Amino acid sequence: MSDYTMVKESPLGGVEHEYDGVTVSEVVDQSLVMVAMPNGKADEIEAAMNKSCGLSLPEMQQSTQSSDSQVTLWRLQKSQVLAYYAYDGDDAEANIAERFNAPSAYYTDQSDTWAMIRVSGERSREVLERICPIDLEPSVFTVGSVSRTIMEHIGTIIYRDGDDSYVLLTMRSFGRSMLHAIEVSVDNVL
Amino acid sequence: MSQINRIDGGLVDQTKPVSFTFNGQILKGYEGDTLASALLANNKHLVGRSFKYHRPRGIVTAGSQEPNAIMEIGHGAYQEPNTRATITKLYNGLEAKSQNHRGPLGFDFMAITDFFSPFLSAGFYYKTFMWPKAFWEKIYEPAIRHSAGLGTLSIESDPDTYDKGFRYCDILIIGAGATGLSAALTAAESGARVIVADEDFIMGGRLNSETNEIDGMSGTEWAKQTVAKLSAMDNVTLMADTTVFGAYDHGIYGAIENRDTEARADSKKPRQINWRIYAKRTILCAGATERAIAFGNNDRPGIMMASAVRTYLNRYAVATGQRVSVYTNNDDGWQTAKDLSDKGVNVVAVVDSRSIEPLMSIPGAEIFMGTDVTDTKGRRAIKSITLSNGKTINTDTLAVSGGWNPNLHLTCHHRGIPTWNEELATFVPDGSVPVGMSVAGRAKGTMVLADAIVEGHNEGASVASDLGFKTGSSKPATTPSVAYNVTARWGVPSGKNRAWVDYQNDVTAKDLKLANQEGFKSVEHVKRYTTLGMATDQGKTANVLAIGIMADNMNQTMEDTGTTIFRPPYNPVSMGAFAGRRRGMEFYPTRYTPSHNWSAEQNAVFVEVGMWYRSQWFPQPGETAWHESVDREVRQTRESVGICDVTTLGKIDIKGEDVSEFLNRLYVNAFAKVPVGKTRYGLMLREDGMAMDDGTTARLSENHFVMTTTTANAVSVYRHMQFCHQCLWPDLDVHMISVTEQYAQYAVAGPNSRKLLQKIVDPEHDISNEAFPYMGAGEISVCGGIPARLFRISFSGELAYEIAVPTRYGDSLIRILMEAGEEFNAIPYGTEALGAMRIEKGHAAGPELNGQTSAHDLGMGGMISHKKDFIGYKLGQREALLDSNRMQMVGFKPVLKENQERSGPSMAGAHLVNLRDKPNTFTDQGWISSSIYSPIFGHFIGLGYIKGGHSRKGETVRAVDLVRGQDIEVEIVSPHMYDPEGECLRV
Repeated sequence: MSDYTMVKESPLGGVEHEYDGVTVSEVVDQSLVMVAMPNGKADEIEAAMNKSCGLSLPEMQQSTQSSDSQVTLWRLQKSQVLAYYAYDGDDAEANIAERFNAPSAYYTDQSDTWAMIRVSGERSREVLERICPIDLEPSVFTVGSVSRTIMEHIGTIIYRDGDDSYVLLTMRSFGRSMLHAIEVSVDNVL
Repeated sequence: MSQINRIDGGLVDQTKPVSFTFNGQILKGYEGDTLASALLANNKHLVGRSFKYHRPRGIVTAGSQEPNAIMEIGHGAYQEPNTRATITKLYNGLEAKSQNHRGPLGFDFMAITDFFSPFLSAGFYYKTFMWPKAFWEKIYEPAIRHSAGLGTLSIESDPDTYDKGFRYCDILIIGAGATGLSAALTAAESGARVIVADEDFIMGGRLNSETNEIDGMSGTEWAKQTVAKLSAMDNVTLMADTTVFGAYDHGIYGAIENRDTEARADSKKPRQINWRIYAKRTILCAGATERAIAFGNNDRPGIMMASAVRTYLNRYAVATGQRVSVYTNNDDGWQTAKDLSDKGVNVVAVVDSRSIEPLMSIPGAEIFMGTDVTDTKGRRAIKSITLSNGKTINTDTLAVSGGWNPNLHLTCHHRGIPTWNEELATFVPDGSVPVGMSVAGRAKGTMVLADAIVEGHNEGASVASDLGFKTGSSKPATTPSVAYNVTARWGVPSGKNRAWVDYQNDVTAKDLKLANQEGFKSVEHVKRYTTLGMATDQGKTANVLAIGIMADNMNQTMEDTGTTIFRPPYNPVSMGAFAGRRRGMEFYPTRYTPSHNWSAEQNAVFVEVGMWYRSQWFPQPGETAWHESVDREVRQTRESVGICDVTTLGKIDIKGEDVSEFLNRLYVNAFAKVPVGKTRYGLMLREDGMAMDDGTTARLSENHFVMTTTTANAVSVYRHMQFCHQCLWPDLDVHMISVTEQYAQYAVAGPNSRKLLQKIVDPEHDISNEAFPYMGAGEISVCGGIPARLFRISFSGELAYEIAVPTRYGDSLIRILMEAGEEFNAIPYGTEALGAMRIEKGHAAGPELNGQTSAHDLGMGGMISHKKDFIGYKLGQREALLDSNRMQMVGFKPVLKENQERSGPSMAGAHLVNLRDKPNTFTDQGWISSSIYSPIFGHFIGLGYIKGGHSRKGETVRAVDLVRGQDIEVEIVSPHMYDPEGECLRV
């Protein structure tokens, strides 16, 4: 038994702000693991994930979900996918490897790399169009779409997880700046 | 009497008065007015003084092309100069001041310059103020700037806020006049996503200024109904009060949305939004601008564009005068006379330069065909005009129409050159418009409204259809066809009277003639010599007229004379709108380290390192100077243990079967046989053989490595590796991802570092010297099962470790380390102490890795493996790069005791010369790249480059700093000044 106990902390302390038509909140219950697929192994890995979780590989900038809707795969590069799923243990890498049962893939935990902020509500797009350079028109950036872009000089992944709901991921150290950028947008728009 | 020129009707709400001030005088206008229309309603014709001659000037136009009515609006920090009154929407409390006069507007002391005008012709400054040369900066230029110029700045920071935004559409329609609205209707009906942007705060364009009838209703009403119809459609975004100012690459357009009204109601709201609009296609329906005619004394207040007179009459219900005359060279000028007459305003004369039959009769007006205006009278407002037939007519407004120029500015932003159209006597867009843009209506030269509507309607459908949308079967709106005929009329012979071409810059027809005579033939040269077409209006009313005069002067065609290049922005844009939110601390984002909160609690002094905020040092009570803190941090680390947040260093996880081969090809030294559980220092070169970055790479398992990079190169090294993998060696099984932020990493350095770590590392992990030797690496756990990575590496030169935990525990770890370290007097240290220790130890960092240094220069030639190929190997073997007389990195220390004091010379920035040489470029031997006071040695030490340095150890040279007047003797020593044998590292 160690004399010291470590306390974990989310990048933004679980911030949540409600505005008229928009809610800005930190996503704190999700893990993110990079799943790299060696050359020529994509089919084998997909078959394994399909068997274990009912997952197929998404098209580029799209996502797929496991049959129990617990795990979402994002595709932003040809040779890798990101597994986004509800889990907050320290061993996400091992955990997802076990779930997928696809040993030829390489898993790298990215859960602590990112600050994740959800911007949701009927006016979320109005707020986001002040910082997000990609087209968020609902019929273009459909539910499940995921894209990597730059917002306010910050490399950002944006994922649409609902009709009026978007998750923005920025490197953890940029989290405060990103939250501020969103809040300024809220102040400017609402 | 208030608003003596106001009549009934118009689009202003005469039940809603608005109060404003002009030069301190309280005036009234109505909601829907612009500042210009309200001033004219109050019979304020004189609104400013001209740029150079301080001539009285009045409102000329009713749009963004206004050259004269530019004002300072607001007060204090909110004051904005050079604001065009013609597009400033009137609001309660608006404060306007006229510009460029000394003393009252009506009696400007500087107006005396007008009497010296014969001496102030084009190029006057260039010719006159040449001697003595030294006078220019101190005397001439300040005096000229003081007497000429536009508005004044508040010299305070702009208190308004600005924002940016991004919008996408299939079809962007620029201009919401009859053409633009017609195009928008068909485009929108097809289902395409449409954005309609218009610079006016009411959409409808000229329809709001005219008396046309469309589809059996007034043009204004048709525009209103069309806008309502469009606004009800989900696929249409209407952006009024939004100026599209530039056409950029790939269908990107810049547009400024003016939100003054909102910002005034709530000062936190942005005043303007700089939109970036991504359009698949664009239809430019920007209409046309009326130009003037250059005749004698054509710049008096009360001389206005004919279309502006109509705008004020029809839209703003302002009769600009009671005895109006019209001077035109085209059919459209007659419409002004007709509208005025229909509204009961007395039209005294219609003067048409064309020798044709009168177009119509205007009750009460004398009609002069084939006649010109040659002179005018009236100092502060026009009183009379003199015609070429000698007749003088008393008048209080002269409405001038020299024809219409298509607003083709945006068509030329990709270097398009407009073509001359003789029939229309103007330039029209040619085919070289930006990719994806088409033009319709008057912007294209389709001057007849009925035709423009059909053209807009068809273009909207055609563009939508090109994009794959199904177009409807709606019919274009109909309006009676009214012919537009014009005969070019540029400069009118006006004897000795000056005829203004460019009101804003006080450029006259004579100036153009002089410039042409003096050899300035190119329109671009004439522009710069005379200042024609510069400043806020960019010659919108002047340029074509000037080109006409130049063509006449040089007896060449309009086409041969040509236009100047059109560049964004179309209209002036506030600097604030380009900055957007990026002001002060928001200039760029800030990155915080995992220990930031804890460090802030310790009153750490932070330093910006790129975007990172790092602790520079941690002052303790009683420490008054920064170096006291830094010296203490160095000493205590070397004596016991210090802790430093090194999370900012790049960390890249690399996995795959071929990683060792991949690393072998990247680093100069061998990596193929690095054992699991070991770290190796590596140096990476660029393709040209110069050092790119250095760092350590640890092998955590057979197929799993983790690389560290310097903080500065974290991104560029990762990019380089991705390039190498994706482009050079895609066959290698290598997968990498940044884990810089995944782990909070701390250096724990000093003789007691192991003892400290043993308190938190879980007991199943043996980190004794034997089990975990120097350069060891491994995945361990701490504090009862928290996963961690431990590396026994040292930047300080002490027994040292770097320990990494998932960043979620980063804050917790620094607190636990400090708590566990209490018994060893553990201290946190910042980047300054880090730097001091690395210089003592002789580690190269940013100042040494300057892009010009080879591995040999750094003293790492011996590391290079000749048994393999790697990036930079071949070019690094070039003869010149192996020359032993190259600049080589060594250490330096002062020789004389008096130079070894804490307060002594630092060497930083000094250049090195031999003892007896005079310091200059020829004798320069090298330079000091890093220098710091070493608390361990008790004097300054330095790292630097000197010719052939590796073989000159022990030699004395001089470190000369001519900027600070320092010149000291220094000894060349090994860069590894502290513990050169590395004994501390291995204990």
